[in-house]
Amino acid sequence: MLGKLDWSAIPFDQPIPLIAGAIVLVAILAVLIWVVAKGHLPYLWHEWITSVDHKRIGVMYILLASVMLLRGGSDAIMMRIQQAVAYQSQGFLPPEHYNQIFSAHGTIMIFFVAMPFVIGLMNLIVPLQLGVRDVAFPTLNSVGFWLTATGALLVNLSLVVGEFARTGWLAFPPLSQLSYSPGVGVDYYAWSLQISGVGTLVAGINLVTTVLKLRTKGMNYLRMPMFCWTTLASNLLIVAAFPILTATLAMLLLDRYLGFHFFTNEAGGNVMMFMNLIWAWGHPEVYILVLPAFGIFSEVVSTFSGKPLFGYRSMVLATMAICVISFMVWLHHFFTMGAGPDVNAIFGIASMIIAVPTGVKIYNWLFTMYGGRIRFATPMLWAVGFMVTFIIGGLTGVLVAVPPADFMLHNSMFLVAHFHNVIIGGVLFGAFAGFEYWFPKAFGFRLDERWGKAAFWFTFLGFYVTFLPLYIAGMLGMTRRLQHYDVAAWRPWMFVAAFGVLILSIGVICQIMQIVVSIRNREALRDRTGDPWDGRSLEWATSSPPPVFNFAFYPDVRGEDAYWDMKASAQQQSLEHEPPEYRDIEMPRNSPTGFICAFFATIMGFALIWHIWWMVILGGIGAFATFVVFAWRDHDEYVIPADEVAAIDRVNLEERRGLVSMAGTI
Amino acid sequence: MSDQAHTRTEHDIAPGDEEQHSVAERVIGYVVGLGLALLLTATSFFIAGTDLVWQPSIPVALIVLAIAQMGVHLVFFLHITTGPDNTNNVLALAFGLMVVFLVVGGTVWIMGHLNANMPPMDQIMKTRM
Repeated sequence: MLGKLDWSAIPFDQPIPLIAGAIVLVAILAVLIWVVAKGHLPYLWHEWITSVDHKRIGVMYILLASVMLLRGGSDAIMMRIQQAVAYQSQGFLPPEHYNQIFSAHGTIMIFFVAMPFVIGLMNLIVPLQLGVRDVAFPTLNSVGFWLTATGALLVNLSLVVGEFARTGWLAFPPLSQLSYSPGVGVDYYAWSLQISGVGTLVAGINLVTTVLKLRTKGMNYLRMPMFCWTTLASNLLIVAAFPILTATLAMLLLDRYLGFHFFTNEAGGNVMMFMNLIWAWGHPEVYILVLPAFGIFSEVVSTFSGKPLFGYRSMVLATMAICVISFMVWLHHFFTMGAGPDVNAIFGIASMIIAVPTGVKIYNWLFTMYGGRIRFATPMLWAVGFMVTFIIGGLTGVLVAVPPADFMLHNSMFLVAHFHNVIIGGVLFGAFAGFEYWFPKAFGFRLDERWGKAAFWFTFLGFYVTFLPLYIAGMLGMTRRLQHYDVAAWRPWMFVAAFGVLILSIGVICQIMQIVVSIRNREALRDRTGDPWDGRSLEWATSSPPPVFNFAFYPDVRGEDAYWDMKASAQQQSLEHEPPEYRDIEMPRNSPTGFICAFFATIMGFALIWHIWWMVILGGIGAFATFVVFAWRDHDEYVIPADEVAAIDRVNLEERRGLVSMAGTI
Repeated sequence: MSDQAHTRTEHDIAPGDEEQHSVAERVIGYVVGLGLALLLTATSFFIAGTDLVWQPSIPVALIVLAIAQMGVHLVFFLHITTGPDNTNNVLALAFGLMVVFLVVGGTVWIMGHLNANMPPMDQIMKTRM
């Protein structure tokens, strides 16, 4: 009846996951009770859960990423403490638990923190920057988000029901095959990634179509803000690369469920094929994450230097070059697997070449800052911190791109330090910069600068104190994923790294405090003009938060830095002339399709993990029925009458006139 | 200011969108496509089993027929043309082809090298002796 599921799935003998699970459960229940008791449920349902507004979906993506960042961060704290204490002893985490923690940490941080964070920012900002009213497929957007949330839910469920994979974040066979991982851990891993992978692919298709097909009047490709370009490149990579992940995991699942032999040692299977395929997805994935971050830094650096982006066209070229070359380097993740010198040399050289367009970008940002009037607001601090940190990460990356050096450093702590250096220094700093930069746009008030700067400095410092020692430990021969060790020389560095995590945690607390303090002081921090940073692109041309239709009129773009030009010409001509006649606006209706689809996908995923076949069929039928009902819908749009548009837009125009006249007097 | 963002996209249509044709024209298009696809499929099955042709040419013939099959699908079912209204579709196809070429070609190359360098133990034993 319930497949493999019985009471032994709940880890009653392991206090850490049980207590953590209980606390999370109580917290969720408390929030739910509060929501229901206060009568917020209808609001939540109508305005957020069923919303197809790209801004709301973007905010929900970022919220998901932030919550999961705390989960993945707790894993990181436990691992650092474990390695600090587990010198010639077992530490406080038994091996099977420690292995689950490092697997969950990697999976969560990549798939459920970095991905939703950048997709959320793209969702929130790209339609605004393009000057349009929504993404190409609004309901699909909501489906994509809720499927990602399903994946995150399943991963967290594994904490209390069953177990998570003990195989590392990419579940290499033969370890991930049934013979070595008979439990449900790998199934939790694979099915949550399959489901959230569909969500990611859907988001990718949606954003590619949005950038290619929906641009306001005059928004040529070469007038698009840099963030739109990196969004395009990143989502092209999603569309091209995620099917590889889906296919690879599907083959692994066939091996596990139906006795196939794709990646087994016997019967003609080839384990190495798994490494090859998973990295053919895995390397583009790196650029899927970091390209949007590059776009965010381009926007931030240009805005806070008060200058147009230096070398805009070279930046576009570099972005598209990275987009293509990122598909030519995947073997550098397994130089040591035994391919010949020809193969290793070619892929090594390609890996070094990809550093060139990245270097071009760094110089462009530096030259953008050069001679500018730089304001060191919090987003700019993250951007400058990124440049310093990412260069170190990039240099160690070029180092491990040299095959002979990689043979020494492969799977060592040096590698761990390298990829944290680029992912934290690149993606996470980028996500935080974007968060600080666009928060006023999303919510209509600024974030507190004092707490923001404190968060930056603690995170920046904490990063170096945590990860520079790991480079040294790697040089001293320490390999990754050690549950305990006997080498005395490594121990001091593990202490320093654990201390670094403490500093990083203070950074996280500052980040949370920043949000709390800002919400409390929101009236004082209110952004009435819609343009708190003296911005350059179209997202600042509308109010903060933008009305549901974003723009009352499609903006007319005459050059790069569209909004900057508008402000410049408005000062001369003044905005005094009467606005043109307002018209009715059609907007897509909200739809619970995404939420219901994800509900059934959760049931189906859970049932597949535990081999509860009747429930799999139930979930499948439910999800398909939801899709059919949505396909046969009659009304999918509603009309906002012109009067209402006019009323909303006039308020915004009044505020903005004040801004322009003030700017004129300075 | 224009109120419709997509009025300016007259030279570039979305994947799946088509210019207006009469129903009869479209039906003829699909029927021709179906006929060609069936013909190519039947030929492939025939070639694979026959001994009428020189045997080593069979794989080559199958590859040629497969590529022709893809072409038929692209033209008659996915409506890829070389017209100016089709830039996005052609670019998407080119990008897809490039990625497939890189990943499949790269995989064949890498796995070939791996197999040559790291044969199973019994084969290593043979070469040593």
